[in-house]
Order: sequence, then structure tokens, then C-alpha cells
Amino acid sequence: MVTLFKSRFQHGPERLKLAAGLALSVFAATFLLSANQGALGDLLLPAMRPETLAGTWGRFSVALVAFLIGGGVVYALLGLRRRLQAYLTWAVLAAIALGLFYSFDLSFGFIGKKLPYLLSQGAVTTLYVSAISITLAFVFALAGATAKLSGIGILEGIGSFYTSYFRGTPLLVQLFLIYLGLPQIGFVVDPVPAAIAALSLVYGAYMTEIFRSGIQSLPAGQWEAADALGLHRMVTFRKVILPQAMRVIIPPTGNQFIAMLKDSSLVSVVGVWDLMFLARTVGRSDFKILEMLITASIVYWLMSIVLELVQKRIELHFSKSLIR
Amino acid sequence: MTISRRTAIKGLAAALSVSFSGLAAQAGETLDRILSDGVLTVGTNSDYRPNSFMNDNNELDGFDIAVSKEVAARLGVDVKFVTPGWEVMTAGRWAGRWDMVVGSMTPTKARAEVLDFPAIYYFSPAAFAVHKTSSAEKPGDLDGKIVGVVSASTYNRYLEHDLKLDVVGMPAFTYDVTPGEIRAYSDVNEFDDLALGDGARLHAVLQSVPVIGEAVAVGLPIKQLGEPVFFEPLALATDKGDAELNARLHNIIEEMKSDGTLAKLSVKWHGTDLVSTN
Repeated sequence: MVTLFKSRFQHGPERLKLAAGLALSVFAATFLLSANQGALGDLLLPAMRPETLAGTWGRFSVALVAFLIGGGVVYALLGLRRRLQAYLTWAVLAAIALGLFYSFDLSFGFIGKKLPYLLSQGAVTTLYVSAISITLAFVFALAGATAKLSGIGILEGIGSFYTSYFRGTPLLVQLFLIYLGLPQIGFVVDPVPAAIAALSLVYGAYMTEIFRSGIQSLPAGQWEAADALGLHRMVTFRKVILPQAMRVIIPPTGNQFIAMLKDSSLVSVVGVWDLMFLARTVGRSDFKILEMLITASIVYWLMSIVLELVQKRIELHFSKSLIR
Repeated sequence: MTISRRTAIKGLAAALSVSFSGLAAQAGETLDRILSDGVLTVGTNSDYRPNSFMNDNNELDGFDIAVSKEVAARLGVDVKFVTPGWEVMTAGRWAGRWDMVVGSMTPTKARAEVLDFPAIYYFSPAAFAVHKTSSAEKPGDLDGKIVGVVSASTYNRYLEHDLKLDVVGMPAFTYDVTPGEIRAYSDVNEFDDLALGDGARLHAVLQSVPVIGEAVAVGLPIKQLGEPVFFEPLALATDKGDAELNARLHNIIEEMKSDGTLAKLSVKWHGTDLVSTN
């Protein structure tokens, strides 16, 4: 992989400079957030008198301590191999995020009591609604991109109307239109099918554009060369164009999958008992909404991480030709 | 509050029996479906303690749920619950997705245009709640303050001075408060915002007394402010037009009132009889 910086900043003054530079932002953040009032200030209480911890100078000294800790951590990390560096940094940031949640004074007993049901009913519903929607969206997108690139006016018109309408209106409105509108003309759809229809139609529209732009990103010379060899257009598309276009298509498609996983939470408004619905319901009626929202956010996050990893795998597969 | 609930219910019964006779045209469709399927599908809330909420076994439980089960039992059918969301239930045109709503719904005039209300099954006192540290001593002290309320609820309409209850014998009430700002809540619990401190986000919340009691019971730093500002009747709701179903439901609720079942359930879930007492 070609990187932005030639150096890895692993030795001598440049390592020190980078560590100091990154730690400077830690200093600024702690200073601006008046961290001397918070948990970090409490940690320093044994070492400093309360009166020195107060006021601007208190803020400054707490920020200085944070600067030294941050700088030290960055400096130590820079000495490691690149891969290890990234993993450890990830772990540190995750620990900070979880620590922040932890400091909210949450009732963990309540979370523990409700978590099994959030997973067995909520997360399972979220997963299967998303999985079906993603599959359908993929089909719609393929059809849409084919139509838009077909060169047949009617198909182009249909494709472009589809993407224009479904990209141009809010998902929530579409969901309500399908759920409340269709019964008016005699089709009573259940909440789950309505949700799947709305999700797959809107994400199919986004992905149509991703597929189309990916295919069009290849120079015309590729088509012309295949024509010159006497290949049929469909064979050219399958064997020449698509494998190269996939490299461009995969990253934004992975984005769409992750976005859809989270947007599936919208189905809770029509009463589908998905992760978001249960989190809100249980949290609201027991006056513990923050506990449930944080739990839900972590479950969504873990599910997204799985998708991220899958995306990375596929990306690697289609960029084989570029690896040096 | 001098008019007794009993008088109110009798008045309502008279009013309803008149209106049913005019509606008999497309009768029986929903009732036929319920009886032939053997299932009564009930729309309700999922987060409204103590009336309908998820209990420790992750099943719906509460006063509304108990009433629904009893109604289904007296119809001789099974009961199934769905939770379509408050705005969807109050909008009417259910397209047969569920047969009735037992969700502590107040029969307002606006709702009566899209829904039928076959029977009132209890009365709910509504009161203001404030933070423990609030200096307000009576509802009138909340003039010009920020009040949180569930969106599209009767409490919201009370604050907007637009609460027209089309119920015969509705206990008289006055608009005691003119809030400076009304903040409508749907997903976030308004009590969580009130608990942040007096005026942090809200100065007060208008809710039903049993719900305020639940919030106090779980230890939120809030208190009820003064006496209830109005009593609202709460009714079963059905989609427009099935007079036979409405008549059956009306009779079942009347039976449950006269044999004391409803009052017993109310005592169990509300701590006091909100069905027949004053």
C-alpha cells in the first residue's frame, strides 16, 4: 500500500515530535473540557491539594498531566510495528469510549437483566430485517444500474425515476407511505414486510448510483478493446468490466450495508420489536432510557464491526491486481 | 369534581345507544372476523406503566393488558397484542390489522371523527409533576414555564387550552396553566428530562397520576404538584363502523363494571379504584 508519509516515525526526533504534536490535541481537549472538575481531576487528588486543582491553573496542570500521559502512550505506540500500532490504538480508544459510558452512573443490574431479551428478540429481528433488505437492495441496484446503462430510453427513464424518487424522499416518509398508504388501495401489509420494502427500495436506489458510477469509472478503452477481440457485450461486462468495477464499488457498498443496519431502527416506529424498539420501550417504561440506548448502541456497533471485517476481506480479494 | 363517575357512565351509555342505531349499515364485519378466527387482536402501548408495559418476563403486562384479556375471555376468543405506535393507533383506518385498542385512550372529538369509542372503562386523573427542588406550590405557578408532555396526547391539548372531550358528564375542569413553552415528547421519556433538575430542560411535566406515582416509586427526584387538574375518561377504541362489535364490547365492559371485575383490576394496577369512585 502506498502511504501518505514515507517515514514511519519510529526513531529519534521525528518520533518525539509526532508524539508531542498528537499529545497537544489531548492537552487542548482536556483544558477546554475543564477536566479538573471530572474523573481525571479526582485521580490526581491524592497527589495535589484541592486548591491547586481549582481555577485556570488547576485546569492547566491537569491538562499538562494528560499531555504527558498522552504523549508517553503515543511515543510508546510509535515504536511498534504498524499493524500492532493500529490494533493497540483501537483498543485504547475503545477503552476510553467504554470508560466514558461507565462514568454515566448506569444501572448495570438492569442492563444485565434486559440484555438477553434485547439480543434474542431485538438484535435477531434487526439482523433478519437487515439481511433480507440488503439482499433485495442488491437485486434492485443491479436491475437499476442495468436499466440506466442499457441505452434504451424507456429503461433509462424508469431507472432514473426510481433513483430520483427514492433517494429524494426521507426513508421515514416512505415507510409510512407503504405502511399506511397501501391499505387504502386494498393491500394490507404487515409492519415487517413494509419495513423491508422501504429499506430495500431506498438502499437499492443509492446502490444503483454506486454500481453505475463504478462501472462508468472504467475508461471506454476497456469496452473498445473487448469489442476489438470480438467479445459479446454481456461477456465483456461479466469478465472484463465487472471485476475491475467491483474494486470501486465495494467500499461505498459496504458503507451502505452498515448504514442500512442502523437505519433498520426506523422500523420501530411501526411497532416492529427490533433492537431499537425494545431499547426505547424498556428504557422508557422503567425510566432507564440511557442504559438501554447505550446497550443498543454497543450491540449495533458490534454488528457493524462484523460487516466492516467482511468488507475488508472482499476489498482485498478484488484489489489483488494492485498489490505490490 | 362533584359529578359522580357513575352518572357520567350512564349518560355515556345513553348517548352511545342512540349513535349505534344510526351506524348499523355495515355492521358485524370485524366481529365476524374475530369470532371466526378465534383471536381478538388488541393494539396497545408498550411503555406506559402501570397500564401496559413489558414486565420482567418480557411480556406485556398491566391494567390495559388485563382488561383486554378479560374482554377476550368474555368474547370466548384468544387475545393477541400488537404495538403499532400511538400516532398510528389514534389515526384510525386500521385496515383490519388490529380489532380494538385498549391503550388508555381518551375519547376526544377529533379522535371520534376517525374512531368509535364503545365503552369507557376507567377515569384517569392528570396532574403536574415538578422537580423536588421546584419552588412552585400550585399549578398556576407554572405560567410561562417550560412544560413537557407526550406528543398528540390529551395532556398536550390541555396545555394548548384545546381539550374538547366529547363525553357526556365529563367532569368540569378549568385551564389552570398557560405554559411559556410546551415541549412534546415521543421517544425520550419526559420524566428523565425533568429529573435533570428544576428548569434544566423542563420545569414541569403533565401526566396521569398513576404514571407520576411510578416515576416517584423508581426513585426519580420529582413530586406531584397539587391536586389533579382534570379527570379524563378513557375508552376502548374501535375502527369506525362496526356497530355490532361496539355493542358487544359495550355490554362486556358494563358487565365487568357491575360484577366488580374492573374495579378489582384497577385497584391491583393503580393502587386505587379509578373505575367507580370519585
